[in-house]
Amino acid sequence: MDVDKIDIAIIEALKKDARTSFREIARLLKISPDTISNRFERLKKEGVIINSTVVIDPSRIGYSFIARFGINVKPAYSPQVLEKIIQLPSVIVASKLVGSHDVIAISVVKDFPHLCRLRDTILEMPYVEKVEVGMWIETMELCPHYFLI
Amino acid sequence: MFEIPSYIDHHMSENKIDTIDIQILRLLQGDARKSFKEIAKQCGVSTDTIKNRFNAMKKKGIIRGTTIVIDPKQLEKKHLVFIGIQVTHPYSGQVLNMVKRISGMCVVTRAIGRYDIEAIAILDDIEKIGMTKSTIGDFQQVKNVDVDILVDKPLLCPKNFELD
Repeated sequence: MDVDKIDIAIIEALKKDARTSFREIARLLKISPDTISNRFERLKKEGVIINSTVVIDPSRIGYSFIARFGINVKPAYSPQVLEKIIQLPSVIVASKLVGSHDVIAISVVKDFPHLCRLRDTILEMPYVEKVEVGMWIETMELCPHYFLI
Repeated sequence: MFEIPSYIDHHMSENKIDTIDIQILRLLQGDARKSFKEIAKQCGVSTDTIKNRFNAMKKKGIIRGTTIVIDPKQLEKKHLVFIGIQVTHPYSGQVLNMVKRISGMCVVTRAIGRYDIEAIAILDDIEKIGMTKSTIGDFQQVKNVDVDILVDKPLLCPKNFELD
């Protein structure tokens, strides 16, 4: 979909603080709150804005590092595997991949037993052939604008 | 978004987060624009309590803020790529700093596993992806660079889709 300057301005304002009132944004952009509201609904309907959410620091609620899983599956089945992986409670993002792996998943992890359980759970899924794990050091942030941590 | 544990363990005790806090976080994870009044109704406490708790969690750094989740491909027609870098043993710090300076990098981190450094970048097109790969490969201390391209729409944890 085509997004114009006003859409971008709305997105930028809400990216900084999703709780900004439409009235406040309207005042800044000098247009009516109804316009903002309509634009917001349209951006959501078109899938540009997926949702609004609270950004939580995972390290403050018991998570200690981030792990990246590179997963090899029988390629034709990657959508099914993806659906299953994203259901795992600590997984933040999962995507189909082109390159050395077929699927990538990024997860917050509590400790090493938790990491082992995650890897084993993925390995036990049908059509999964191999799981490679990378553990991130000193980084508890992914890319808040896209992945929220 | 990841799951908020339903219990309080030793990591969390210092932050004094209780079941009402957890309930507030869960409701806001699904919709950050939900009014404090509505959250109060669902939690069975007063609106002021919610407001105070929200502000307290922000002050403690448990809540970093609120934001909207955007589909980068819809908005900017860009590619997300994963970059795995293997480095000659003692030089990972230097390479890390160099990679961080390349444009389009979202996150660049030291890692344990097959790669010494892992990164995620948002790049304009295939050409840019190729250029980025060779820029990193040209660093003397880099042994190998793997680039994987994320295709289709990346799936975020279902909590982010509650509204749909």
